[in-house]
Amino acid sequence: MPKEYIPILLFLLVAISVPVLGLLAGKVIRPGGFFFRASRNPAKLTPYECGVDTEGNARDRYGVRFYIISILFVVFDVETVFLFPWAIIYNKLALFGLIEMLIFLGFLIIGYIYVWQKGALEWV
Amino acid sequence: MSLEISYWAVIPEIVLSLAGIVIMLLAPIVEPESRGRLGYLAFIGTVLAGAATAPLWNKSMVAFNGMITVDNYGTFLRLIFILIAALSILLSVHFNRREEINHGEYFALILFATAGMSLMAAGTDLIIIFLGLEILSIATYVLAGFKRSDVKSNESSLKYFLLGSFSTAFLLYGIAFAYGATGSTNLQNIRQALGAATQGTRLLGPQTNTLLLLSLALLIAGFGFKVATVPFHIWTPDVYEGAPTPVTTFMAVGPKAAGFAAFLRLLLTAMPAYHWYWAGILWILAALTMTLGNVVALVQPNLKRMLAYSSIAHAGYILIGMAAGRELNASPILFYILAYTLMSVGAFAVVLTVSGKGDLRVNLDDYAGLGFQQPVLSFALSLCLLSLAGIPLTAGFMGKFYLFTTAVQAGYVGLVIIAALNSVVSVFYYVRPVIYMFMRESTSPAPEISVPVPVIITLIITTIGTLWLGIFPAGFIQLAKESLLALK
Amino acid sequence: MLHVMGIPILNLVCYVPLAGFFIILLLDRKSVTAIKWTANLVALLDFILSIPLILSFNNPSYTDPLTNFRYIIKVPWITSLGAQYYFGIDGISLLLIMLTTLLGFIAVLSSWTAIEHRVKEYYALLLLLQTGMLGTFMALDFFLFYVFWEIMLVPMYFLIGVWGSERRLYSAIKFFLYTLAGSVLMLLGILALYFDYGRQTGVYTFNVIELQRIGFPFGLQYWVFLAFFVGFAIKVPMFPFHTWLPDAHTDAPTAGSVILAGVLLKMGTYGFVRFGLPLLPDASRYFIGIGGKSFPWMMWLCIIGIIYGALVALMQKDWKRLVAYSSVSHLGFCMLGIFAATPVAVQGGVLQMINHGLSTGALFLLVGNVYERRHTRLISEYGGLSHIMPLYATIFLIMTLSSIGMPGLNGFIGEFMILQGTFSDPTLRIWSGVAVVGIVLGAAYMLWLFQRTMFGEVTNPKNELLDDLNFREAFCYVPLIILSFWIGLYPQTFLRYLDDPVNRVVSKVRGSDYFKLSIPVADATTSPTVAPGTVVADRPAPHR
Repeated sequence: MPKEYIPILLFLLVAISVPVLGLLAGKVIRPGGFFFRASRNPAKLTPYECGVDTEGNARDRYGVRFYIISILFVVFDVETVFLFPWAIIYNKLALFGLIEMLIFLGFLIIGYIYVWQKGALEWV
Repeated sequence: MSLEISYWAVIPEIVLSLAGIVIMLLAPIVEPESRGRLGYLAFIGTVLAGAATAPLWNKSMVAFNGMITVDNYGTFLRLIFILIAALSILLSVHFNRREEINHGEYFALILFATAGMSLMAAGTDLIIIFLGLEILSIATYVLAGFKRSDVKSNESSLKYFLLGSFSTAFLLYGIAFAYGATGSTNLQNIRQALGAATQGTRLLGPQTNTLLLLSLALLIAGFGFKVATVPFHIWTPDVYEGAPTPVTTFMAVGPKAAGFAAFLRLLLTAMPAYHWYWAGILWILAALTMTLGNVVALVQPNLKRMLAYSSIAHAGYILIGMAAGRELNASPILFYILAYTLMSVGAFAVVLTVSGKGDLRVNLDDYAGLGFQQPVLSFALSLCLLSLAGIPLTAGFMGKFYLFTTAVQAGYVGLVIIAALNSVVSVFYYVRPVIYMFMRESTSPAPEISVPVPVIITLIITTIGTLWLGIFPAGFIQLAKESLLALK
Repeated sequence: MLHVMGIPILNLVCYVPLAGFFIILLLDRKSVTAIKWTANLVALLDFILSIPLILSFNNPSYTDPLTNFRYIIKVPWITSLGAQYYFGIDGISLLLIMLTTLLGFIAVLSSWTAIEHRVKEYYALLLLLQTGMLGTFMALDFFLFYVFWEIMLVPMYFLIGVWGSERRLYSAIKFFLYTLAGSVLMLLGILALYFDYGRQTGVYTFNVIELQRIGFPFGLQYWVFLAFFVGFAIKVPMFPFHTWLPDAHTDAPTAGSVILAGVLLKMGTYGFVRFGLPLLPDASRYFIGIGGKSFPWMMWLCIIGIIYGALVALMQKDWKRLVAYSSVSHLGFCMLGIFAATPVAVQGGVLQMINHGLSTGALFLLVGNVYERRHTRLISEYGGLSHIMPLYATIFLIMTLSSIGMPGLNGFIGEFMILQGTFSDPTLRIWSGVAVVGIVLGAAYMLWLFQRTMFGEVTNPKNELLDDLNFREAFCYVPLIILSFWIGLYPQTFLRYLDDPVNRVVSKVRGSDYFKLSIPVADATTSPTVAPGTVVADRPAPHR
């Protein structure tokens, strides 16, 4: 067994232990667990929504635009992921780097224009 | 700082993508009724891409740190892919008008998919091959579901997407293991890392890299899905049947050819040392694939489905070439891919035209008596089917003949005998539509079938190509050989 | 090389029908008369063009001295595979080509009124078929041979399937699949020879002459012979593979049956003479049982074919089916002669191929004549036709007698030579004796057929008003009758073309010693290469 795989093994153990320990801890300290007596009421059975009362059913339909907006968000998020390392070695890449990045941004803008033209950004 | 950037190396992809982008941007602006005309723009795009690719012939360069290689192998295949795209676009123009699919994006997606295929043919790094595959796959997932109101089309798209992503995972896993085993994703580096150490016929020896065997198995499964070999073929008939017919045409030849292109390059460039292992697996896959494809095709009353199973069978024939493929032995594959492209597109073109609005006439019964009502269509279909069956003077015969001789030469006599028996079986179902067309009287009144110009152009290209490859194959065999020299 | 109008003669003969095919495709489908005339003229032209082949056959300037083939055309085709475009003929192919062009013309002529719908496609396919058949007989390159062999299937398949009678679909597909299955196996055999030749010499070629130069190991010959056997025997057809033939013959249109019986079946026998025996002499000897050291498989199959075919023919109620089964029997004779591999027997076998083409072709035409009038082929529907159609009955009698081997007509010469040649090999003598039974049975079923249809009273009132043959119909039989008598009375005209090629085949199978060891024959002018029992009387010596 190669030695260099030991860290991976350790990492795997840690990864497994995090959810196991978390669930165990919950089991131990929650009401009805090892230490506390169970207290049942309707509020305990509702999903946690920032302390506000739940509205309607979670299986409702809602606008497909949410997806589009979130995907667009991810696209521009990824753009930033590219921009940071590029900025760090900007001086080394010089003009070539600038042009390449402009091309990359250009593609994103084309996609943006397309989405705009298709009317995906209009809310109503 | 050497990045080895050469835009010439990716000129086909650049042209195809730009054409795609232009169409994509124009699509929302143009009136819905005239969006179908964007197809002609897409066609011009493919012509330009072809013109840009042709000068790469006999050029060889390595670009992007060995990620892209321009060689005759890649150029030959890129040109085939562009041909496939051009023919599919021509068919789509007619089909989309008939089915009222008014989306310009359709053509953009075909171009993007072609760019992906082209990248797969030129990529000499597993990452690039994977990227090409993804570009291709995502575009085709969408294309398969383009008839949005049609349940079958939706089913097709969803099935293709689910099984396709599944296979992609296999492929990626295989790539990861290959990287783990050799420390590189570059095909040349992998080859050097493997060396000739494991040349031999032992199943597992001290020098055999077990991790690489695992990778090989996963890669074969991943590519097996893409080119639809048994037992990874289950998605094929449903997907082909449900997708819009021009998309089926495209899928039956394009992604398949691209899958074989990348697969062959991978095996021959990176893993010749493990030939003993992959040849054995491919032997079994080839035998299973062609037998199952042919036997199941025998009982299909739906022509689209029959052609889907026939495409499985033909993938089996190509696998023979891969199993036998060492050095020049694989050159029949290139010839066969070209031949298969021409005859298959030709057959689909007729099926598409005959099926009529709503794709209603796709069963054998609908072809009864067609022979003398539509002589041109029936002649083209008969020729393509006979070529698929492997009757001499057609491309299909030359392809099979060249494939079989080379395989016999490489010592795969058993496989060739199985293949020969298979082609006899296949004759039965290829000839059946011909019987229906010419020897049965139609029960219903003759349907109105319009044969528009784009379809005629496609038929002319495919029939002449099929005959030309069948009668004067020497030049193309030479091309295929020269192309394969690059893979050594 | 003989050129006509700047085109090599063989190309011209082979492709004139193809040109006719394209011309007919360009004609309007409604101008039926123009289509018929074009087809007839093209077929006639092809026959006329093939006459110079026989006239200048012995002209040394057209002969390749090395191979003794004539009118050679040799052009590289697929160089990377070693396939050439290689045409050339010898005496055997010459006779078959003449037969093809003649029967091709007769078949076209005989269809004038028989075909009423889809006339254009019919004639086009008939001409295409002609090109395929001619190419098969001319090709000296295995690959080219295979291409023509297969190509010919397609038009024949359509002819049966579109213009045939009741069970045409079934018959067409059966014909197609049978032949195709056989030819795929044959292709594997060809490939095996191709690769073994390449292994031995380093050169890969499909050139048949080249392939004959070296000997193949017996193990390979064994398997290749079996592969060739299946391919050719299906076409002939020999006994276990004959079942497609009655169906295909019965359901084909008249012209299709004529071509099928007259020419297509000969491709199988031709394949054995040209390829099977000379390329695989050791395996041939083994399977035929020459020398008495191995089981005579081939002889058994020939004899079963002869007797079984005759017996089944006796039982037929359908006129055309009877003639079809008689083909199985007659082709058994051809194969017996060819497999006996003595000079006389092989010559007889080849001559019998021609004879069968003439007489059975004519018999199918005759069935076609009455079928066109009555639309039934049941023998019981007819009777006493000689009172109503005397000319028809006369021709039918001549052809019946020719078919059963009446001396003075062609069938006798062929059968006699086969039996005599087979008898001259001591180990095969017994088969000659058994085969005679086939001749007796042949006489039985043919004469019985004649009696049931032609003689007696006219029992069926539908037959009373039948017209006798018109001029066009009768004209079809003129060349056939002339040739039947010619071969029957003076076969030398034809046999002299067969000497040299047949001797070459025999010396391949039996070794060139066979000729040297032979007992000298009295005639002083005879060259030393004449085998025992060769009819030498007035025949010019080979290798003149």
